[in-house]
Amino acid sequence: MKTALMGLALATTALAGAAQAAELRMSWWGGDSRHLATQEALKVCGEKHGHVIKPEFTGWQGHFEKVATQIAGRTEADIMQINWPWLPIFSARGDGFADLEQFDDLDLTNWTAEQLEAGRRNGVLNGLPVSTTGRLFVFNKTTYDKAGLPLPKTWDDLLAAGPVFQEKLGDAYYPFEGIALDGTLLVTLYGTQKTGKPLIDPETNEVLWTLEELADAITFYQSLVDNHVIQPWPDVLAAGNLPIHENPKWTKGEIAGSYQWDSTYFKISDPMEEGQELEYTGIIDQADELTEGVYRKASMVFSISKNSENPEAAAEIVNCLLNEPEGIAAMGSARGVPASKAALTQLTDEGVLKPGQIAAQELVIGAEGPAIHPYMEHPDVRSAMEDNLELFAYGEIDAETAADEMIYAIQEALDDIKS
Amino acid sequence: MGGESKWMGLWYVSPYVIGLLLFTAFPFLASFYLSFTDYDLLNKPEWVGTANYEKLFTRDRTFDKSLKVTLIYVFTTVPLKLAFALFIAVVLNYRLKAINLFRTAYYVPSILGGSVAIAVLWRYIFADTGLVNMMLGSLGMEPINWFGDPENALFTITLLRCWQFGSAMVIFLAALQSVDKSLYEAAAIDGAGPWKIFRHITLPLITPVIFFNLIMQTVQAFQEFNGPYIITDGGPMKSTYLLPLYIYDKAFKSFDMGYASAIAWVLFAIIMVLTLIAFWSSKKWVYYAGDKRS
Repeated sequence: MKTALMGLALATTALAGAAQAAELRMSWWGGDSRHLATQEALKVCGEKHGHVIKPEFTGWQGHFEKVATQIAGRTEADIMQINWPWLPIFSARGDGFADLEQFDDLDLTNWTAEQLEAGRRNGVLNGLPVSTTGRLFVFNKTTYDKAGLPLPKTWDDLLAAGPVFQEKLGDAYYPFEGIALDGTLLVTLYGTQKTGKPLIDPETNEVLWTLEELADAITFYQSLVDNHVIQPWPDVLAAGNLPIHENPKWTKGEIAGSYQWDSTYFKISDPMEEGQELEYTGIIDQADELTEGVYRKASMVFSISKNSENPEAAAEIVNCLLNEPEGIAAMGSARGVPASKAALTQLTDEGVLKPGQIAAQELVIGAEGPAIHPYMEHPDVRSAMEDNLELFAYGEIDAETAADEMIYAIQEALDDIKS
Repeated sequence: MGGESKWMGLWYVSPYVIGLLLFTAFPFLASFYLSFTDYDLLNKPEWVGTANYEKLFTRDRTFDKSLKVTLIYVFTTVPLKLAFALFIAVVLNYRLKAINLFRTAYYVPSILGGSVAIAVLWRYIFADTGLVNMMLGSLGMEPINWFGDPENALFTITLLRCWQFGSAMVIFLAALQSVDKSLYEAAAIDGAGPWKIFRHITLPLITPVIFFNLIMQTVQAFQEFNGPYIITDGGPMKSTYLLPLYIYDKAFKSFDMGYASAIAWVLFAIIMVLTLIAFWSSKKWVYYAGDKRS
């Protein structure tokens, strides 16, 4: 009996792979479809490798603060889904997370050197890119058809769509949306296209646009409101502090366009009412633009806690989620089109990736634009832009003052981060 | 035996004392130290002297705005809530049918009110297409932009706080029931009407409880977080950006824990000064049983 038990124990250990059976935690943000897929994948990978993984998931709002608090208290999950711009915040010198190149069980050959570079801090591989993402224009084709309009290809098309929507569909219908973060990204895109420069120089951490250039982009934002292209800021807030996918006007198709990450395909399409068809288009262009200005970055990365008691086991699970058939199948495309070659091949062969998703990813990869500074998504930089654009949208300050305040506040934030 | 019982007593209170030291006293003192440092949560704090306080009082426009909003919120919410709680307590002090049912029903919002779920519910009730605007519409009135108009947003948050009047109401009710009935009878015989009785007998006799509720509600109002965080996220244009939200953003979004600690200590100082003023003024308007003035 004793021998049999010993044999069973040895067999279990052998089946479980190199790492001993461990109890792990994994944290992520996302929508319902991602939550369901990831929990299933963790179950499958846990069973395969003999580990138990406790899921910790939330929506986007508040997740950064949660992770920050956990890291400060050294209670972070063993495996974390980390937003790419957070890497320099949590790991300024590359020592904030485990070095992923130390794990034999993690097959890094599925990523190109360029992809892996995005996950490095100070030469240390802190995060494994799950996918590449970029902001794209996504439209509700059903509503545009109702308005008798083709999907816009230029800013002029979009500006012209506003009055048509108002006339044919009524005041409640808008061809697009954009306040808060979406609004600032529209301003950034328009200005990048026109100037050919990113707002923040990735090399020097300086604001590159002049006051006039930024004021021009802000003035253009107002023209979107004036032409009934986007709802005025106060009217959007009247619905409460809701993200776009929870806004009933989006789910009903009354708001017929947005500037979104391609990886949020399911998040924004799942809540839509029956019969609404979404379509990603490329980046909207303007006459005489100097660049397409795509806002592209490594999407979320998977990192392993430097405080994990079972980093090898965590690496096994990360490998399973991103590179092994069982994990890939369970995860599906809930995090966009995968960066891992193994996952991309499998999901394409199995027809899991929706044609719309693949097309959107091709648009992101194919578009060009200057490199994005990770600090564009630093909370203080975001706040500097959003707060002043909001004051402008409410008519409290003019475009020049808004631009002046933005540049001052962004530069101050950048200087604080540097120091 | 005496020595043994002394140790036994300490043993019994030790869970509370240890908890107090670890989870209240230590963070309290640590935050005071941190307010003089540059601390980003992830690296060791660096001593910067009074730099955080200097920035707070001389260059931080967001703090000025947030402080103003917080003071407006507190000075609106507390009187409204206390008046409403007292009014309901007076009504529930009458001998009505099914009075216990009413008392329970009116207390329920206080159990639920601080929760995230109720804040989310509030968001839907006051949304542009929500219940309140539907009711206004049925009365032929124009819908109101409760969250998008900076003039209304703070009021909407204030209403949520006032709605949670139950705990203050229960304390008022207990005070009302402890008023000597013979005083009412004597006043009635002398020809005093209900308002005079309330004004000259009830109100003076429950001033200790009004004072208690005033202090408690003021302290709680200064610490309001859930409502504005979930319903408006401090907007629009920071019109609901109460100081606790600013502390939270500085600490957990900007990683400026030292600066956040400095704001927290300024908030603490404001609460303390207002409490001291309330205590000082209480000598003039609070009457205790046995007090010679009463």
